[in-house]
Amino acid sequence: MQRTFIAVALVPFALVFASLAVTYSEQQALRSLAESYVRLVPQELGAPNVITGILLTYRAFDTLGEVAVLFMVAAGVGLILNSSAPESRSLDGQPESQGKASEIVQSATQILFPLISIFAAYIIMNGHISAGGGFQGGAVIASGVLLLLLANRDQHLSRQFLSVTEAAAGVLFVLVGVAGLIFAGGFLDNRVLPLGEFGGFFSAGAIPLLSVLLGIKVGCELSVILDRFRT
Amino acid sequence: MAEVMGSILVVVGAFFHFSAGLGMLRMPDAYTRMQAGTKASTLGNALVLLGLACYHPSWSLKLLILIYFVFMTNPVSSHALTRAAYAIGIPMTKKADIDALRDARRDMGDR
Repeated sequence: MQRTFIAVALVPFALVFASLAVTYSEQQALRSLAESYVRLVPQELGAPNVITGILLTYRAFDTLGEVAVLFMVAAGVGLILNSSAPESRSLDGQPESQGKASEIVQSATQILFPLISIFAAYIIMNGHISAGGGFQGGAVIASGVLLLLLANRDQHLSRQFLSVTEAAAGVLFVLVGVAGLIFAGGFLDNRVLPLGEFGGFFSAGAIPLLSVLLGIKVGCELSVILDRFRT
Repeated sequence: MAEVMGSILVVVGAFFHFSAGLGMLRMPDAYTRMQAGTKASTLGNALVLLGLACYHPSWSLKLLILIYFVFMTNPVSSHALTRAAYAIGIPMTKKADIDALRDARRDMGDR
């Protein structure tokens, strides 16, 4: 009986994928929307990386919304996990230590944490030139923080510092957007700063700045989430 | 010539990746699976990246950094995972009759 159900469930799946596989043909040219983006991003925004150009200028409002969603996640996780976990204490009233992380993890953290941080900075700062950007870099920062938390269980993360930094980054992001509204074409227009030399490190107007702010914000948010899960 | 070398390296690396996957399927418990996956995929990754370096000599520096990074992170993360599995008491296979970590801890306690 169960096998019949499975078969009945699998056949439509197979049909869907079969139709995809049979009718698939590789596109030879870009569609009109993609084509105009590919043409406009280097020309208008001065960013060699078309995707970052779209994400941080044409659809930057959408990016702002995504960051807000991430903030909601952090807040929700905090609401659920904050007070419910009872402090586990051993018999003599001391907070129970669950044993230290092994020496391998501790020494590796000392080597890897700076490497990961540098890598994150590289990803964030190269978002407008090559693959990368604020979101990815922020996630890499958070992975470094996770390593730190794993290696040292008593590591104290200042949530206050994290939330203040995060809020400041968010406010600056919106302020850059408002500056675009006043001095350039619209909300989060990147041409509030000079476009600079195409492909250079300081180029593409406000995109590197927005990228850095986004990276800080995402890194702080994810770090707060990780820290919440620790309790 | 460089391309042949590169291809050979990539294929050997792919073989190690395959054996990692096979080990994950065939090994009896979490610990042996972890070690099969880690060792074979670390070496496989290094070989594939070296093969790529033969194809594109201009990428060599970046690829070497990647190899270094994989060599640093892959063993450490698997070590941490396995240690966590040990800490929460995931059982070993019935065939295992040595538990070096337990023995070492007992020896430390005796002293």
